[in-house]
Amino acid sequence: MSTASHDHDHADDGAVHAHISSVPFYVAVFLGLLFLTGMTVGQSYVDLGKMNIVLVIVIATLKASLVVTFFMHLKWDNKFNALIFISTIFFIGIFFAYTMNDTEHRGDHDPDQNVKVWAKTGEEAPGGMVKAESHEATPAAGHGQENQPTGAPAAPAPAQHH
Amino acid sequence: MSTEAVAHGEGDDHAHDAAHGAGHHGPKWLAHHYDTPIQQFDAAKLGMWVFLAQELLFFSGLFVAYGVYRNWFPEMFKAAAHQLNKEMGATNTVVLLFSSLTAALAVRSAQVGNKKLTGRLILTTIACAFGFLIIKFFEYKHKFEGGLLPGRFFHPHVEHLVQGAPPLPANTGSFFSIYFMMTGVHGVHVLVGIGVLIWVWIRNNRGDFSKEYFTPVDIVALYWHLVDLVWIYLFPLLYLI
Repeated sequence: MSTASHDHDHADDGAVHAHISSVPFYVAVFLGLLFLTGMTVGQSYVDLGKMNIVLVIVIATLKASLVVTFFMHLKWDNKFNALIFISTIFFIGIFFAYTMNDTEHRGDHDPDQNVKVWAKTGEEAPGGMVKAESHEATPAAGHGQENQPTGAPAAPAPAQHH
Repeated sequence: MSTEAVAHGEGDDHAHDAAHGAGHHGPKWLAHHYDTPIQQFDAAKLGMWVFLAQELLFFSGLFVAYGVYRNWFPEMFKAAAHQLNKEMGATNTVVLLFSSLTAALAVRSAQVGNKKLTGRLILTTIACAFGFLIIKFFEYKHKFEGGLLPGRFFHPHVEHLVQGAPPLPANTGSFFSIYFMMTGVHGVHVLVGIGVLIWVWIRNNRGDFSKEYFTPVDIVALYWHLVDLVWIYLFPLLYLI
């Protein structure tokens, strides 16, 4: 599909026939963006607990969708450009999911590594497995990473994430 | 009916093919390695979207850092956010959204060949960009005065802090590391945006653009919308939590 696809009369003449939205349409999109900004600011005065962050991201994503679809012309653009954009979002999702899955569970008991340490301090958590030896035994583990849990010497050293 | 008239008629029908098609005598803005304007246009847009994808992935690293630290220290983030000026942040959001509108309208007026209006709209966009940076400057100034600085430079001055806000934990410096890094890198993008907007304004004045060729205006506007896009997430995540 080419950019000219919507304009069938001239589809094959080689010229650029990009979609041209009307001025009132652009202004309407802008007003929609202002309305959503007002919503998110208003919401910030009401504490919804865990729903705060969900609502903030939903509203921001609505705003971003308006900008990408209409201001950035993705609706009428070559669909391959939309594919690039959507796959970027997908890979950002992977980046978030895998990183947070790591950092959110560093203090958890890990039977494979035989450790249970506090993520924030690297110290043994109450009730955790005994963390034999110390950082000196495995100098490679935890260089510059205060939150890096140190594996027990019996187990293979945990993979370095960087 | 003369042959001239026939030739003329055909010339009208195939004006585009003749002018833009074969390539050897195309318009001066059609690079020689493209057969048609649409091919050049699509290639330029594709390149820009790949660049924008890279920009998003680049910013996502900062957003992941934000996510990790926010989940580790939710109370600290909440306390620190109280020190940011919601009104200034909201004003800047409106300024950027408006500049995105004027950028989109600039592309539109370039598409319909209104050179004068295109120039004015680009200038409005540039003015908004400067407005954004000026507001940002006063925000940064307040942070510096209050000692609300990144990492180990964090040394809050009680007299400069927001009254009635929750007390700041000792590790609040990491919030301000993230705050300055995210808004700073975004600010650099605003500066680059001003640069490319000025470039496209000069080219517009020079008469480089027409209904047939407005690609640089379109591409620069795409970049500017991306700057807006990043701020759409930065503002609520930093100021409104």
